[in-house]
Amino acid sequence: MSSRSLLWLVPCLVIWAVLPFVLPRNVADLLVFTGIYTVAGLGIGLLLGHCGIVNLAQATFYGLGAYASAYCTVMMGLPSIAGFIVGAVISMALAYVIGRPILRLTGYFLALGTLALSAIASALFFEWDWLTGGTLGIGGIPKLDLFGFVLDRPSRYYFFVWIVAFACMIVAHNLVDSRTGLMLRAMRDSSTAAASLSIDLQALRTKVFVVCALFGALAGSLFAHHVSFVSTQSFTVDRSISFLLIPVIGGATSIPGIVVGALFVTFLPELLSKLGDIHQILFGLALVAVVVLMPEGLVGAFGKLRTRLARRGGGHG
Amino acid sequence: MTISLVLQALFAGVTNGIVYALVGMGLSAIFKGSRVINAMQGEFAVIGAMTTVLLLTKSGWPYAAAIAGGAVAGALVGAFIEVAFVRYMAAKNASEDSFLLLTIGLALSLSASILYFVGRDGHLLPPLGSEGVLIVMDAVIQFHALWLIAIGIGATLALRAFYHRTTIGLSMMAASIDADGAATTGINVARMRTFTFVLGGLLGAMGGILVTPLIGVDYQLGLNLTLKGFAAAVLGGLTNPLGAAVGGVTLGLVESLAIIGISSSYKDVVAFSVLIVIMILMPQGILGRAGRRGG
Repeated sequence: MSSRSLLWLVPCLVIWAVLPFVLPRNVADLLVFTGIYTVAGLGIGLLLGHCGIVNLAQATFYGLGAYASAYCTVMMGLPSIAGFIVGAVISMALAYVIGRPILRLTGYFLALGTLALSAIASALFFEWDWLTGGTLGIGGIPKLDLFGFVLDRPSRYYFFVWIVAFACMIVAHNLVDSRTGLMLRAMRDSSTAAASLSIDLQALRTKVFVVCALFGALAGSLFAHHVSFVSTQSFTVDRSISFLLIPVIGGATSIPGIVVGALFVTFLPELLSKLGDIHQILFGLALVAVVVLMPEGLVGAFGKLRTRLARRGGGHG
Repeated sequence: MTISLVLQALFAGVTNGIVYALVGMGLSAIFKGSRVINAMQGEFAVIGAMTTVLLLTKSGWPYAAAIAGGAVAGALVGAFIEVAFVRYMAAKNASEDSFLLLTIGLALSLSASILYFVGRDGHLLPPLGSEGVLIVMDAVIQFHALWLIAIGIGATLALRAFYHRTTIGLSMMAASIDADGAATTGINVARMRTFTFVLGGLLGAMGGILVTPLIGVDYQLGLNLTLKGFAAAVLGGLTNPLGAAVGGVTLGLVESLAIIGISSSYKDVVAFSVLIVIMILMPQGILGRAGRRGG
């Protein structure tokens, strides 16, 4: 890491550490959701930005994580960590089993295949009420307990969620920076050339899909312990779509972009809801505006603007 | 499992299948003409049906005029989307993913607009023909369903004739097969793409208007119809609107046989599983011909 980016890191960290203490409780609560959505969005960003795969099934893995946590803690009385592990293992196994065949599809077909997967999962969450509680859901999920320190307030949970989110960002960053990342870039830019260099495209795509599912399950477990109640409404196709918006809005190839996207999908609806019921229309239109005007997302648009300003500044200097 | 139950299921399957076929044909026509997967195709159905409901109940139009109004509304929204968004993005060489995201955003906005302006409630339309039913071997068949099937078949044949017999249909085909070649023979390729969206909007609206007397319309209907319509289009090979008709009816039949074979609550699970399996195993669609290029 260069000294310049380190210079940026320090004030950012200070602001991050102070935020939950100075902000009102509901804003701190939204920031917790931003952290959870960042985790879920990171996986989709990896798929979209580095494999060109539109994943519209993240609510499936999010739901699996949440239900695993709910079922393990409430129904079976196991410690919270069990829920995290069960959710992650089931999600990764499912992603592997489904990913192998489905990732043979490309482009639109894959996007709609994952959308169909999300629709199937959402119907099954609804039908299997012996497991999920159906529309009544499962309530009374305990707050997380770190060695006797109960994370029962948004300001406490905030730190835990964001530390997990940072850890996931580092994992994602390392994955992109590693040999795997090089192979991913080769595959994205020219899949034929990559295949001729004996890169197993199928295995590579499945690997990233499994990582994406892991992040989704992790986010789901974090969500379950935050709201203490999970029901089918949280894991519908709509949720899959809003997860996809995170990397689209922020910028799929950049990790800070995912945070920006997560801020966008958590805060914008909340800000717009002050305007009354019209806020859902405005949110849809905001998405359209981002897609039409900023195809590389907010972070991409910001970068472009900065280059343009720098060029202008250079011309005058 | 009695004969009448099977007959009832088959009939319901064909009826639903025709609706999926109309939505799927619109989706397929748009994809053929513009290479855009329209994730708001189901919203065209909602727009058509809702406009008809409002013209009939709020403005007091006669039923036939209200239906025509609904169909025109679908077509106009289609034209608007092409002119306002798709044209601009196509000029900037947007990726296929961004078109998908564009139409997802438009679908969200439209469904939220219906929720805001019309409300949460579902609305029914009166059945076409009469309220009566036909009883065949103890299976109850609504007259409306017979109308729906007849109109669906009529629309499919008309679409076929449109693509093969009319100048404008042939021009649209030419523009979709080879845009540069079509342009050199004097075809306005951009305008043909607008017509494609008009056609897609019209077909979607027809599907919506026809299904409303049976299941009603509300702001949430769009997404489900989009998914079913896409499944129908993929089963038919995606670039072939007439294949979507076959795909739609097949999907409807599979669904209703799943209802008698398994349980009505697994209807969507079966339909979408079939979609995934067909995409993987039969990428050309069940008809097997016509290229399935898209990604």
